[in-house]
Amino acid sequence: MIRMNRRKLFVASAVIAVGSMAVAAVPAQAFAPHRAEIGVSASSIKLGISVPMTGIASPGYNKIPGAMKAYFDYVNANGGVNGRKISLVIKDDQYIPTLAVAKANELILKDKVFALLGTLGTASNKAIASSVQLAKRGVPALFVNTGFSGFADKSKYPTTFSILPSYQMEAKIMSQYIKENYAGKKLGLIYQDDDFGVDALAGFKQGGVNFDVKVPYASGSQGVAGTAAGWIQKLQAGGAEVVVLFGVSSATTAALGNAYALKYAPQWLLGSVGGDATTIASAKVVPVALMRGSKGFSFAPAPTDTADEYIKMFQDVNTTYNKGVAFDNNIVAGMTSAFITVQALQAAGANLTRKSLMDAIETKGSTFASPTLTPLGYSTTSHVGATGYWIGTYDATGSLKPDGGAYTVYTTDSGSGAVVKSTYKRAPMPAKGLPN
Amino acid sequence: MYQFINTVLNGITSGAIFSLMAIALVLVWRSTRVINFAQSGMALLSTYIGFECIQRLHSFWIALPLSMIAGAFFAALVDTFFMRVLFRRTADGPISGVAPIIATLGLLGLIRSSLGMIVGNSDASIRPPVSNVGFTVSGHTLAFSPLKLMTLSMVIALMLGLTLVFQRTNLGLALRASAYAPEIARLAGVRVDAIRTIGWALAGAAGAAAGMLQTPNGNGALAPDSLEFNLLLVFGFIAAVIGGLESLVGAVVGGLVLGLFLAFIQYYVSGSLVFIAAFCILIIVLLLKPKGLLGSKAGRRA
Amino acid sequence: MHKILHTNLGRALFFTALGFGLFLASNRIDELRVYQGATLAMFVVAISSLILLTGYSGQVSLGHGAIMAIGAYAAALARIHWGLPVWLCFSAAVVVAAFAGAVLGTAAARLSGPYLAGTTLALAVGLPSIANQFHVLGGEQGLLFDIGQPPSWLGADFTSYKWYFWIGSSACLITLWWLQNILRSRYGRTWRAVRGNEVAAQLCGIHAGKSKTLAFSVSSGLAGLAGALLAMTISTVSPSAFPLSLSFTLLTGAVLSGITTLPGVIIGAVTLVATPEIADAISQRMANSESVTTNLPGLLVSALLILVVLFVPNGPVEQMRMFRVKARSHTKN
Repeated sequence: MIRMNRRKLFVASAVIAVGSMAVAAVPAQAFAPHRAEIGVSASSIKLGISVPMTGIASPGYNKIPGAMKAYFDYVNANGGVNGRKISLVIKDDQYIPTLAVAKANELILKDKVFALLGTLGTASNKAIASSVQLAKRGVPALFVNTGFSGFADKSKYPTTFSILPSYQMEAKIMSQYIKENYAGKKLGLIYQDDDFGVDALAGFKQGGVNFDVKVPYASGSQGVAGTAAGWIQKLQAGGAEVVVLFGVSSATTAALGNAYALKYAPQWLLGSVGGDATTIASAKVVPVALMRGSKGFSFAPAPTDTADEYIKMFQDVNTTYNKGVAFDNNIVAGMTSAFITVQALQAAGANLTRKSLMDAIETKGSTFASPTLTPLGYSTTSHVGATGYWIGTYDATGSLKPDGGAYTVYTTDSGSGAVVKSTYKRAPMPAKGLPN
Repeated sequence: MYQFINTVLNGITSGAIFSLMAIALVLVWRSTRVINFAQSGMALLSTYIGFECIQRLHSFWIALPLSMIAGAFFAALVDTFFMRVLFRRTADGPISGVAPIIATLGLLGLIRSSLGMIVGNSDASIRPPVSNVGFTVSGHTLAFSPLKLMTLSMVIALMLGLTLVFQRTNLGLALRASAYAPEIARLAGVRVDAIRTIGWALAGAAGAAAGMLQTPNGNGALAPDSLEFNLLLVFGFIAAVIGGLESLVGAVVGGLVLGLFLAFIQYYVSGSLVFIAAFCILIIVLLLKPKGLLGSKAGRRA
Repeated sequence: MHKILHTNLGRALFFTALGFGLFLASNRIDELRVYQGATLAMFVVAISSLILLTGYSGQVSLGHGAIMAIGAYAAALARIHWGLPVWLCFSAAVVVAAFAGAVLGTAAARLSGPYLAGTTLALAVGLPSIANQFHVLGGEQGLLFDIGQPPSWLGADFTSYKWYFWIGSSACLITLWWLQNILRSRYGRTWRAVRGNEVAAQLCGIHAGKSKTLAFSVSSGLAGLAGALLAMTISTVSPSAFPLSLSFTLLTGAVLSGITTLPGVIIGAVTLVATPEIADAISQRMANSESVTTNLPGLLVSALLILVVLFVPNGPVEQMRMFRVKARSHTKN
């Protein structure tokens, strides 16, 4: 008797399953080729972003969507792009690829966004590109937030555009700098044992730099009490005089903090991902003054550089449209992506389609006004944004100042190309920071 | 030799913090036979309260006891208004073994997401109250600073204090009796429910101390989704299981064994193996001694 | 003998009918729901593996996410290195995960409640990081797991997600059908006997250790299948797809389904898939701050979990059955 009932319930639960999917179902859309582009109307453009807003990877990165939104609000308040106001749908993927795919599907199929913006993480981006089939659907994935060099492969990821130089490029430029300035010194490297670090190792190998001490750490382990002390011990034991810190900002903080505790003071070279003075300062474990003399690598102006016109504009926008959020590297990163997005939308013209947007970036991208201090490398053959780094020194307030007073920019590629000193001069900012 | 000593010192100090968390887990386990997965959430909440106290009172030394009191109070509330109801409703049936795990996991999620809603992504951090620069002995800087000395002494003091309470006071007797033989204790006039709540409160205080000490010892930063607190729970739990779950001394021994083992793996093998290493040592210990290093069979039978 | 065949046949027919219903449904609903349906199928398999382990064999696992990872990697490696057909990749996932489960289960059978929970928790944290140690596993960015385009005879507008949904639902229905059978078999009875009273079961000549190990192994095999299904829906496998939170999510799903009753499994899976959308709908109505919006799904799931444990600890299905039994005895009187 009981068994019968159970089976009835089982049938019932199966019906619920089918029903729950069918209830919300919308009849399959008829193919209507002459309809206006998805996510665009006469008065609006809808973009979508999926980033870790909660979960272990969220601290720091969860500020990026807010920063983008703030800049879009600023643009909207000044008339929008070709009369269209930009809206941004924010989803939380917790840095889990499964969720990233689910959120990308929601953004594309339910919210019907025009393009994806700033997806974070190599694994998530790879999963989205292949499972959601961005290429087949023709959905642009603008300015993905990862330095993994694989996304430069246009044949594999035709609709994906990156903005960060690849980790490999950074490592190559660092190698050049090390060979020029620290020849004969003992070298140490702290790196994350995943693709982030693996890409870096490849770049250092190409750059011809061999490290005397290599210290890998498990991604996610840097916060555990005491583990970072072991990294410093290894560097000390190996007698490293120049140490490259190629890790996330929590690892950078942990390494500097433990070096401070052990009175170990090599010449630090801080990679662009982890070298955020604001984050390090806010952690309060290590006095910011200790960063003085460390070398930093960046492609954007430092968030502390208030003399920079873009930084000044971003700060104003942040104060007005992003109230109560501290201004740091993440805000600069978010607003830089938003700025270039607006620039691209503008360049695509009044008759905006996904294709016209991607064409605009490919054909006009390298001439975009951009806060970055390195040239943008967009072309019909390359989807890589910033192509290099400038090198600076941290002062006692944690502000990164360019060596020799002026920005000297080195550019390279993710392949075997040489590291070149660039003559690029950033164009002046468009009036009020609004692309025209 | 210098590096060997520093590795040992590193292991001891990180182990000390694992021990604190392990002590909290053991206290709850002993009083109510529950592994409290919400312990890290409760520690996070108490640490945030401690952080707010530091902001207002500008003193770590006042904030620490305040956050421990807050932690104890919150834990007592959880036990009284949540766990007791839960035990009544899931006393038997196949769910009884799983229900406490599920309930505390749910509580962990609840604390974390509510905290996330309240504090958002604002920056919070705790500055080390004493210097974290290592002592120098004959020209060598040791991986042992006033901060670590303070941490270690706190752990030892807490362990000794709790052991004294358990061994030498009537309260301790009542705590042990309610844990091992609740029915007999009840017959003997012990208010078992109240005594169990005290066990939870002690654990809440220990967890708060773990959070307040881990934060300046680690990265300093505090966030609702802190990875550090997640790992603190995992490593604290592993330490408690290694120690046998029953004794406070076991918890401290477990914490130190784990801390030392990980420090040696970190320095002599590879930093990328810490998580796998933690799993391996747990499996090894449990295969050799399924009840942990200091777990007593008599205790479980009683 | 004839009777068993009859019921088996009946069940087989029932599941076939259900499959046909799903097939019809998949043609009528939009792409997003089809994708969610594939995810749903994955969760059903994963949660039923956990219900089998916890509800029927009485063992707790906080590390089923890691076992799913084993299955997913096995399937992806089989596909990449030997180019095996899809169904063989899925079989490989089941076999490899079941084998790993047997090894683990041998250790697990010696451990009681909290010790087993601790071990599986450590497994969930430790195992995914192995992927970064071996080049063949592809590191953090993971491996592609491309099961290929749907067969051409299904038509040109038959999307990959529909194909995933079909594969997922078939795997799910076969799993449930097989589980219903095994739980009614000698093994199912043995597991329940050991769960109920280990000593009594041993007195009856049941080898408790072997029985537990077998349950762990079977459950792991199913978790491996779920892992392969997960890898299929996101076309990749990577360590970050199998975080600690996945293991906790599965446990949540199992409790929402009613941890002792397989028929409720769909309820937990639907809840897991639907909660973020419900949270979205709520937060859009309230138009609140960003921190509220992003933390709402977590809050809802946790609150629901606590409510279920407090008020329907044995799950909705069991609860309804008890209501009915009560009501019936009432009318008889």
